[in-house]
Amino acid sequence: MTEERVVLSSRVRLARNYDDLPFATASRIQDADECVARTSRALAQSGEDAGFELIRLADLGELEQRALQESRLISRDLLREPRTAAVLVNRADAVSVMMNEEDHLRIQAIRPGLDLEGAAEDCFRVEQALEKQVRFAFDRQLGYLTACPTNTGTGMRASLLLHLPMLTMNKRMGDVGQIVAKVGLTIHGVYGEGSEALGHVYQISNQVTLGRTEQELTAAVSAVGRQLMDMENALRERALQESRVALEDSVGRAWGILRHARRMELVEFFRHWSQIRMGSALELVPTPIPVLDQLLCEVQEAHLVTPEGTFIGGDNAEEARASRVRQVLRDERGIVE
Amino acid sequence: MLCEECHVREATIAVVVRAGEESTTRHLCAGCMKKVHQELIGRPIKDLLSGILSAISDGGGQSELQENTVCPRCGMTLHEFQRTGHLGCAGCYDAFRTQLQPMLLRIHGRVQHAGRRPGWLTEEAAPVAQAAPETETQAAAAAPAAQPARKCPSRRDELTRLMAQAVAVEDFETAAQLRDELRALQAREGQA
Repeated sequence: MTEERVVLSSRVRLARNYDDLPFATASRIQDADECVARTSRALAQSGEDAGFELIRLADLGELEQRALQESRLISRDLLREPRTAAVLVNRADAVSVMMNEEDHLRIQAIRPGLDLEGAAEDCFRVEQALEKQVRFAFDRQLGYLTACPTNTGTGMRASLLLHLPMLTMNKRMGDVGQIVAKVGLTIHGVYGEGSEALGHVYQISNQVTLGRTEQELTAAVSAVGRQLMDMENALRERALQESRVALEDSVGRAWGILRHARRMELVEFFRHWSQIRMGSALELVPTPIPVLDQLLCEVQEAHLVTPEGTFIGGDNAEEARASRVRQVLRDERGIVE
Repeated sequence: MLCEECHVREATIAVVVRAGEESTTRHLCAGCMKKVHQELIGRPIKDLLSGILSAISDGGGQSELQENTVCPRCGMTLHEFQRTGHLGCAGCYDAFRTQLQPMLLRIHGRVQHAGRRPGWLTEEAAPVAQAAPETETQAAAAAPAAQPARKCPSRRDELTRLMAQAVAVEDFETAAQLRDELRALQAREGQA
């Protein structure tokens, strides 16, 4: 799979609402409870519930809630109202049905690499199973009705996580943003606050949801994703040909630090991780890309826990992070000479 | 202190907004701060907000009347929707349809759903669709003549109506888009 050199993962989410309940943003606790009860019942009755687990966020500690969000199985917005929020989650397939977020339901599926069609299929399977039992708010002209008019119609958001270090370092992301906006898509950094995209990880997704078919939306995002992938790969190839030593030097330094550091702040980790992920794609680093992508999730705050499962904070978290990174990279032979 | 944007949650972030020489401090909650941030990175959301403002607030003498429009199902007012950006229930789409149409057009560029439809709707529609064709050849011969003829005038009417609405709220950009769409539609009909 050459796409994984640039594309980390594909995600699709569908927004759906019950016709007879006030939207989640305006609902009372009993309506929110009804939403959870109705959805879990419908999934169970459809017979498609194998592998799904119902989790009420109120039953989880803060750490477990955050760990779900770091794994991207739930959105950050679902954590805003933990009293009423719940999720039906199938961890093995990375499919989840968030309840009482902005909309009653947010059906979400994640697939590794470039596979929006597959992720969409995963969502549709759950949607159809539910729809046999329940009635979603739908208008013949406007399609599926959502709490915010930006999601009306298909209710679909298709997104790709892209690793674009060369486009970023060559200061091309401004142009990229403009091109992407022209075709009705949007791009932004995934990790970190402010303008800097930590780890050079970006998300592109469709901005419009009404008046296009689901296939048109996934195809548009995939097409732009491929285009950015080609641009990124071309810059990497050029760097390899024109300034190989400089590239090997920066990848090698990042590798050395990650292999040997005893303390690692998250921001610093992202910087070196980006280098070695690109190094792995260019076969300068032996660690496979999926291992590095998994590591990205494992070193975040709520994933760094003691063997007893309690939170590690402050300096200890930095030590735990560095230790986890060394552990993962230890088995590797070392940098390719 | 409550968030100046949503007036619901506690403000936890102070943002200094500079416009030329002037600067003002705004107190926002984390949720609204995120929205402001998205606004800055994704222009279309900014367009949405200005779309809401131009479509709803700038109606001159009409605006007060419009703001008092209430959804009979959930009691949400148009003013409340304008403030929060969120609708209260599925019924709001009917209650505020006139005001929502230009806004949806501004956000999405189109106002006719083209994607998946729920199973119950296809079942409802199925008898009508299946009743007409006797055989496949007959259906193929009859359909192109009968269906577009029935469908196009309504689409044309709708575009004309939306264009009038856009002009009424002085949203000339949208009106121009609608005009182009209408012309294209007429050209297609002319060819057929």
